[in-house]
Amino acid sequence: MAAATSTSSDVAKPFDIVATYNELLRSDPDLTMPIAAIEALVLLLTHSPSSTISETLDLLEKSTAHLKQSIPNPIGLSAGTDLFQRYLITTLQRPGQLGPAGDFNAIRAHLLSNGRLFIRRAKESRDKIAAFGRGFVRDGSTVLTNGGSRVVASLLQQAAGEKGGPSAVRFRVIYVLSSAKGDVEGSSAEPEGMETVRALREKGVPVATIPESAVAYSLGKADMVIVGAEGVVENGGIVSRMGTYQIGLLAKAMGKPFYVVAESHKFVRLYPLGQYDLPIEQRVIDFKTEEDVADEAKQQEQQTQPRTPDVKSPDSHDSVDYTPPHLISALITDSGVLTPSAVSEELIKIWF
Amino acid sequence: MTSSTPTAPSPSPAAAAAAPASTPASNTSSSSKPSKQQQSSSQSQKPKPANKSKDSASAASAGGAAAAAPADGATAQLTPAELKKRAKAEKAARRARERAERESGAAGGPGGAGSSAGGGAGGGGAGSSAAGKKDGGSAAGSAGGGGSRQLPRRGSAQNASQTGGGSTKHKKTDDKNVAVFGHLYGQQRRTTVAGAGKEVHPAVLALGLQMRDYVVCGSSARCVATLLAFKRVIEAYTTPLGTSLPRHLTTYLSHQITYLSTCRPLSISQGNAIRALKLAISSIDPSTPEAEAKAFLGEFIDSFIREKITVADQVIASSAAQKIQDGDVIVTFAGSSIVKQTLLLAHKQGKKFRVSIIDSRPLFEGKSLARALANAGLDVQYSLIHGISHAIKAASKVFLGAHAMTSNGRLYSRVGTALVAMSAKERAGGVEVPVIVCCETVKFTDRVALDSIVVNEIADADELITAEPMQQLTGLPDPVAAATASAADAKKGGGSKSAAAAAANAAAESNTLTQNVSSPLTGWKESANLQLLNIMYDVTPAEYVDMVVTEMGSLPPSAVPIVHRMSTNM
Repeated sequence: MAAATSTSSDVAKPFDIVATYNELLRSDPDLTMPIAAIEALVLLLTHSPSSTISETLDLLEKSTAHLKQSIPNPIGLSAGTDLFQRYLITTLQRPGQLGPAGDFNAIRAHLLSNGRLFIRRAKESRDKIAAFGRGFVRDGSTVLTNGGSRVVASLLQQAAGEKGGPSAVRFRVIYVLSSAKGDVEGSSAEPEGMETVRALREKGVPVATIPESAVAYSLGKADMVIVGAEGVVENGGIVSRMGTYQIGLLAKAMGKPFYVVAESHKFVRLYPLGQYDLPIEQRVIDFKTEEDVADEAKQQEQQTQPRTPDVKSPDSHDSVDYTPPHLISALITDSGVLTPSAVSEELIKIWF
Repeated sequence: MTSSTPTAPSPSPAAAAAAPASTPASNTSSSSKPSKQQQSSSQSQKPKPANKSKDSASAASAGGAAAAAPADGATAQLTPAELKKRAKAEKAARRARERAERESGAAGGPGGAGSSAGGGAGGGGAGSSAAGKKDGGSAAGSAGGGGSRQLPRRGSAQNASQTGGGSTKHKKTDDKNVAVFGHLYGQQRRTTVAGAGKEVHPAVLALGLQMRDYVVCGSSARCVATLLAFKRVIEAYTTPLGTSLPRHLTTYLSHQITYLSTCRPLSISQGNAIRALKLAISSIDPSTPEAEAKAFLGEFIDSFIREKITVADQVIASSAAQKIQDGDVIVTFAGSSIVKQTLLLAHKQGKKFRVSIIDSRPLFEGKSLARALANAGLDVQYSLIHGISHAIKAASKVFLGAHAMTSNGRLYSRVGTALVAMSAKERAGGVEVPVIVCCETVKFTDRVALDSIVVNEIADADELITAEPMQQLTGLPDPVAAATASAADAKKGGGSKSAAAAAANAAAESNTLTQNVSSPLTGWKESANLQLLNIMYDVTPAEYVDMVVTEMGSLPPSAVPIVHRMSTNM
């Protein structure tokens, strides 16, 4: 944990939760958003001089709100912060040495050590999921997947690798690459998921890459769809990279199973009723007339630079859509393979 | 006349009280025609009409107590002195009636008792003017508020066998049951407190009638009212010698529960509350002093209401209100208290949205909701269920209340709800509106509903006959019928006792009766090949429900059994 040591070294400076969070995400490519959030909160608690429970909770709440506000898409993040807060409260309410009566410093030490344990477990969960999900990838099957999900990548790699089981599965992958090339600034960067494609090809798995527009065309050759998720919402639907919903719809229309791979810490207490009910501002559909375009161009000239990437980035890369539960065949999580309706059961178990 | 002995003393006080009352009541200029119920002036009247007037009397008392009808022009015309006089007479009449009921209650079944009380009423009204009688009829009709309690009820089998004229009617009753729902006709709703059994507490007696008359209506309201009544029962309870409170109180409460269920079948929420209460009773250590145990139970009831209903409603309202956004058009069906709370809260939060209320006959629960929301400053559109396809076109969300949620995720709610939910999901029509159900977990049940036939509740089919009075511009409605009816009334002399009892409400909704008489369906029991079905609930499949908002969070309908298990295990 290079990030942790680097941030904890300069104690004198006031702790910046947002910077820490971003730093954590950047330093460790394997880190998911909820885990980064939890890690940032644990670091915050290490730095905070709070000495009472209510002070700690208050601090936690404030920083969480601050963090959520400063990140363009806080859905995945809020899964982590909510979970941590919940965990903290239940720990504090538990009677005994670590309860309200106990020594606060002991409580804090316990929290921190447990927080770290939680992070480690969360990282391990990916292997667990891969173990559960391996059975779904059969010999001779073709898997269609998209995006840069690390869990999907690890699942596919484990299915392909010898060490994962008795024998490697021979399967093919159709990889849907997002049309990042269409972007003005993203043209130089390679599309999300290219890394996985290379890794799979290295292992001898035949991979075909297709653009998003070719999903319907290619789906006839695929046996199943496996996607990752940014967040799993309460009704068992998922919030995921833009483009997942349409794949889900197509898979349903073609009668192909649509599996979602997600760690259980990605379960969010969120219940979207539709695409436009997500708690984030997305400017995907942006109606313009020629006049507006001209205005914008003028404004862009006048305005200072830093605004532009801020506004632009959520539209182009981080935009998400919501895939409703009736399109999902099963969710492969570290607590087992669940039907969408079982997700709410899992969530209720965590929260009550 | 089966129970003639207890009847004998009753008419005299009733008559004395009712006679003066009819005079001021006649001031209220009502265009209504007399109901059929005031038929016979003598005590030896036919049992059926007697039952009817008894019916209306109890309806009037319950309705008059709980929902004071708004005064309109006619009431305003009265001088204060007259009003006072009327109120006095009303009170006297009520007392007399109660006494009569008590006396007759001990002897005979409901049929006999009903006729005796009605006989008293009839006797009292004998000498009064035709106008007074007319008023009496309309007052009785209006007391129930929108319903049709003044109409005759089908005699139960027991009733019919007891009474002379009932035997022919009994045969007809069977014809009148809609075959598919035949199993639901089991018991007739109780029409009187008579024969209720002496161990039934007065608070429960009153509540039973109020529930029967829809004065206390709605799953949560009935649950709370039941618990509060039971709290009073427990307060008044003393453990008999030789038993202990935990052992005896449960059986004692069972009598109350049985009585309540004869007034109207218990709701799921009531059942759950009663189960929790019984569990709490049985968990009391038999050695606990009685006062302590009673205090504990009182506390338990209070906290149950607070946790499961009051606070739960607040939590649900606040989380459901989050789903309302600016510019939304919310469609709701009938009058759910929790939906009302949600909409009011969202409005208070400054959200700009419109509400479209879909309502249905015969209860018209949406009317008071529409009024309440409009008073709060919301934009409200009110239409009946036949306007659903139009209303749903503009809708962006549907909010529904619930009577119960079954374990297979289906919504069991006021009849018509399924139609609204299905219209909201009518993909072929290009409509796909999220359907949100607001429901406390106390309404969850482990029962499973596959259709709305196996489990349902049948209300009195006569409720369907009464139509809302319509403003007619072209003269009086059906003058011939009015003339004959009033002539018949003049001959018979109606129950001005009920006139006295509900004279305060006389002016309000006095037109209701007009329609009864002119409705083509009146007397449907006598006409062959005609069946009326007044079903109370229907089942909405889980696919049509997007979200269930409970106090434990928002869930998909599939999570209902899990939450039910968790909330009952706690």
